[in-house]
Amino acid sequence: MSTSFAAVNPCSMCMPMGSVMVFRGIEGCMPLFHGSQGCSTYMRLHLAHHFREPVDIASSALNEKGAVYGGAANLKQGLKNVIEGYRPKAIGIATTCLAETIGDDVPQIVREFQETEPLAKGVTIISVSTPSYAASHEVGYRVALKAAVQALAKRSKPNGRLNLLVGSIISPAEVRYIKRLLNDWGLGYILLPDISETLDAPLSGDLPRISAGGTPLAEIRDLANSVATVTLGGFVQEPGAGDFLGKEFEIPHIALPLPIGLEFTDRLAGCLEELTGRPMPDSYDRERGRLLDAMVDAHKLLADVKTAVFGDTEVVLGLTKLMAELGMKPQIIATGTINPAFAKSASELVPGSKVMTDADFSEIAQEIGERDIELMVGPFTGRHLAGKENVPLLRVGLPNHDRFGAARQMILGYEGSMFLVDGMANALLEQKEIQRRFS
Amino acid sequence: MKIFEDREGHIQQKGEAAAPLSCSNESLAGAVSQRACVYSGARVVLNPVTDALHLVHGPIGCASYTWDIRGSLTSGPDLYKNSFSTDMKELDVVFGGEKKLALAIRELVGGYHPSAVFVYSTCIVGIIGDDLRAVCKKAAEEVGIPVVPVLSEGFRGNKNEGYKAACNALFDLMGTRDYEPCYPAVNLLGEYNVAGDLWPVKPLFEEMGVEIVASFTGDARVAEIQRAHCARLNLVQCSGSMTFLAKKMEERYDIPYKRISFFGLEDMASALRCTAEFFGGSMPSKAEEIIDRETARVMPQIEYHRSRVSGKKAAIYMGGAAKAVSLVRAFQELGMEVVIIGTQTGDRDDYQKISYMVRDGTVIIDDANPLELKELLIRQEADLLVAGVKERFLAYKLKIAFCDFNHDRTTNFEGFQGMVNFAREVDVSINSPVWRLPLERASRINNKTPLSLGAGVLDVHELCSS
Repeated sequence: MSTSFAAVNPCSMCMPMGSVMVFRGIEGCMPLFHGSQGCSTYMRLHLAHHFREPVDIASSALNEKGAVYGGAANLKQGLKNVIEGYRPKAIGIATTCLAETIGDDVPQIVREFQETEPLAKGVTIISVSTPSYAASHEVGYRVALKAAVQALAKRSKPNGRLNLLVGSIISPAEVRYIKRLLNDWGLGYILLPDISETLDAPLSGDLPRISAGGTPLAEIRDLANSVATVTLGGFVQEPGAGDFLGKEFEIPHIALPLPIGLEFTDRLAGCLEELTGRPMPDSYDRERGRLLDAMVDAHKLLADVKTAVFGDTEVVLGLTKLMAELGMKPQIIATGTINPAFAKSASELVPGSKVMTDADFSEIAQEIGERDIELMVGPFTGRHLAGKENVPLLRVGLPNHDRFGAARQMILGYEGSMFLVDGMANALLEQKEIQRRFS
Repeated sequence: MKIFEDREGHIQQKGEAAAPLSCSNESLAGAVSQRACVYSGARVVLNPVTDALHLVHGPIGCASYTWDIRGSLTSGPDLYKNSFSTDMKELDVVFGGEKKLALAIRELVGGYHPSAVFVYSTCIVGIIGDDLRAVCKKAAEEVGIPVVPVLSEGFRGNKNEGYKAACNALFDLMGTRDYEPCYPAVNLLGEYNVAGDLWPVKPLFEEMGVEIVASFTGDARVAEIQRAHCARLNLVQCSGSMTFLAKKMEERYDIPYKRISFFGLEDMASALRCTAEFFGGSMPSKAEEIIDRETARVMPQIEYHRSRVSGKKAAIYMGGAAKAVSLVRAFQELGMEVVIIGTQTGDRDDYQKISYMVRDGTVIIDDANPLELKELLIRQEADLLVAGVKERFLAYKLKIAFCDFNHDRTTNFEGFQGMVNFAREVDVSINSPVWRLPLERASRINNKTPLSLGAGVLDVHELCSS
């Protein structure tokens, strides 16, 4: 049943969650929530489930007294203890609804802390306002990315490099893929945020206080000196970090969709060729050919398959695009975030489909019932619905708690799209086999 | 060991301590406590009530992160596996959320037909001052089912306050339905049916001729809670969360309570015995019969696992103290030594009890954080950590075996068969070959002259380095 005054089975998370995905992609950076203890513990749990990695998020552990008299003392003590305990290079402070509603002036508290606390010397503090009630985790991610760039980017001398901003949440393996592509291309670049190692660390027998990897602070400073900025997954997002670099440092900014499917990946390849004058390495053209081959192989099985796609805006658009390229029929294109640009793009990609924003799973359920959906693609939170409808669910995106390998999800580029084509085809085949066995 | 200045009193080594362990206070800011909040405490206690509608009054996050978070199973209704939220937005925060809440309750009751509604307050509700009690009272009259406020603003204390809020909510429901039990009747307090824990235990009681009126709250129905006051005895398992309710029931309904545990052979046997003794008659001899039979049945398997894990060192970090205490005994049954034991919410009595049970040299820790846990695991040379998901990957990174004893485990550990399952899980993790795989690949570069390679190979080398 769809409701107008309540959300039933949410398809989104809250703003501070998104900030963690940025802060954990900065080298030596420790996230800290200014709010009650539960927010950090719950989001740690959520991310640990997904990545199967320890995820530490500090909290200012606001209590009743703090809520009444202001949380400055708690926040300062929290900062001090984080510096002592974790020895971070940077601390990323995200506010919660509690801190925002009691009206704490976080930038002012941070200034006071930096002026009076000797330990604060040499530690970069980035703060971002992320009241949970204001928007979703996607917006939290975007504003945290902008806050990091705003706090650090500084003009010095031209570096001749390219800025590659990851504009929406992707997996560590996908970040590794983008880096490999740029390395193989022979391009100099700065990628932010880089969660490739921090949220998918090799086993070493030790556990560093803050996991190794992430974009170095010096590199973030140097973003101001690059020749151009490309934001991947900045298709329907509001102008953020990339536009800031454009306005402040006159660096041209190109916002691209996530490279999922043939055309969106071609767009990234074309953009890089145009910017650098260098051709894409031959091995990637061969990869492109293999994607085409995979699409041809599966085209009959996937023809006219009615799908429901849900999750983060940029991922959903990429998935929808690939489905359209394959002759599939995305019927429901949904996101839990409020984003009119998403709605417009999705409608253009598949005219006649049901496009939903600010959606929860009760609303998606109602639409599914009316549309004979054969395949669902999105986070694991769709599993109850998939089970009830007896429709296979291909798990894509955050969160994915009930399957292994979320950190190794790979749906970007020609290669990732190929895995998606195979994955969707196999999910349908397995479903058919199960039906045959029990019919 | 010193990581945070204000935490020293919370960590002790048995045999060395002079003062009692510091506990029951607020978590230190910046120390990354493993604790959650008041709301979380209330949510974990109430959420297993299967036919209730659990409505979170707050922004979407609080509902998102706790959706189906508990591995509590149901034998019937599954309404509790949904996540309901008033999804408060900026305007609700500015103008107040009471109206939206009232409309949401009406709408949801109409659509989902629950037996009762629990309405949880979150941080923001406490700040903007929505009158949850008043809204719930009015709504209950309107919709004709219990609408129970759960006052659980996240910042008003720690998880223990949430347990109390939940107990108050359960107590509010109780006594509203009459019932005449056919047999000597008990309630199980602090039994959450995680991974179906309750199901192998229940038949043992039934075999003794004992009826379980209500289980709080594993696989529970609202109606069972409403008539729980008709039982003659309360068996309290998770004492941290439920002693408060047991005391309230003793006061109001004159029902005595006993602390028991269904985990471990010895504790399971004691639970049956003390229940049988309470009711008397032929029940004690029946209890012994069951205990003998079941023990004999599972012993060969337990012996097998014991032979493989005996002498290993275990670390325990639990939410509540009752589980930690039960684990100490279970590890004794497996011949293992406990080298670290800690809880998120234990009180002074709990830690005293723990201190009596463990040997000298065992570290006792209150409200630990990842840095302290890491240091202790290494220093105490633990072979295994028993804890929850947040701690799992910490152990794995240190190449330490792990057993999940928390919300989302999928194997049942209670009762006689449960102990076999537990022993097996401990065994397979400790003795897995993965821990013995070499971390570093042995280098094959040595001082001997390499083969003289052809020009083709050297070309590749040049290409790579250019």
